[in-house]
Amino acid sequence: MDDEQLSSLIRRHATRHVAGVGLRSELRARIAIAAAAAAPAPTRRLAFAGWRAALAGFAAGVVVAGAGIALLPPLRGTSSLPAELVADHVRALGAGPLIEVASSDRHTVKPWFQGRIDYAPPVYDLKDEGFALIGGRIARVGGAPVATLAFRHGRHVVDVFVWPAQALQAERASQVRGFNVLHWSDASMQFWVVSDADAAELERFASAWRARAAAPR
Amino acid sequence: MSDAGRFESLVLPWLDAAYNLARWLLRDEAAAEDVVQDAALRALRHLGSLRGEARPWFLAIVRNACFDHVQARRGRREQGGWEDEALEALQWQSGQAGADAASALQGTRERVQIDAAIRSLAPALREVVVLREIEGLDYAEIAQVAGLPIGTVMSRLARARTRLRELLEQAGVRP
Repeated sequence: MDDEQLSSLIRRHATRHVAGVGLRSELRARIAIAAAAAAPAPTRRLAFAGWRAALAGFAAGVVVAGAGIALLPPLRGTSSLPAELVADHVRALGAGPLIEVASSDRHTVKPWFQGRIDYAPPVYDLKDEGFALIGGRIARVGGAPVATLAFRHGRHVVDVFVWPAQALQAERASQVRGFNVLHWSDASMQFWVVSDADAAELERFASAWRARAAAPR
Repeated sequence: MSDAGRFESLVLPWLDAAYNLARWLLRDEAAAEDVVQDAALRALRHLGSLRGEARPWFLAIVRNACFDHVQARRGRREQGGWEDEALEALQWQSGQAGADAASALQGTRERVQIDAAIRSLAPALREVVVLREIEGLDYAEIAQVAGLPIGTVMSRLARARTRLRELLEQAGVRP
């Protein structure tokens, strides 16, 4: 057996180990987290840009409000909705972008949504409770743009999809392909939390979120 | 472009190559995943020092992280570095090395034998085989990854091939 034959045997038969989806998505999340940590704090210039975005958002909101309201209700009560949210969560982790605005500062993330969607989702950083805000993105759910917040919890990424609600809804947990989904609505918004973290951890997230929402600021 | 963007376009395409190298060097799935993640974050932090090709640059970081990991593991166990090699040789002799679950499931007899033969090489020889024969790097790139002179890469590759030939011929694997 000469060198060429040996090389050919190895090339044809030896195992080439391939990075799994888990490694790829976890790495992407950690890079997003590292990028968020490195992102500069907002400056006066950015604050001014925020104003312009706010004005643009107001104008855009007037234009798309009708379409948004028409599109949003079918999202509620659709049996495949959790599956669709899990699919978006997986797609964002695998192919990205997981976050389009990378920041742990809610005063950066919240204004970023202005002009991109026709509602203003609440944004909290729950770092002290173990869920650090890493950024946000716009997901498309049932064809409608939906505000999505990404949190880091240990080595897990927790996605929170937020859009307006018509009615209160108590917490409801489900599971799709091993991912946990937790849903509730308050008086104005509905929340869908998706992660591979334990269901109990998502409940802890929901409690922390509601406590923060209720706290006077 | 942001560092994260550059990382995505320059380094992430080589994630499979990185994982393959780590997996072959560490022979452990979980350890390989951890080491590749840490190496990737290290690469992200040092992206500014990247000159030339990203693949050998990134694989060098992964390779060094693997050797650091092995050192740390040995330090914790307070064992000499030869234990693993001795165990590996024993496994080869008793045919146990071929019983790796992934290989056995996917594989032809050739795959099982060839994987086991490569796995039984000393790490210094194993890494040049994986980089040359599986990842297809040239001598200069392997020298960069392993931090060796090109002459040493060539002599190690020659030694590795001699050993592999012996093992495969013993096992009855024909070209």
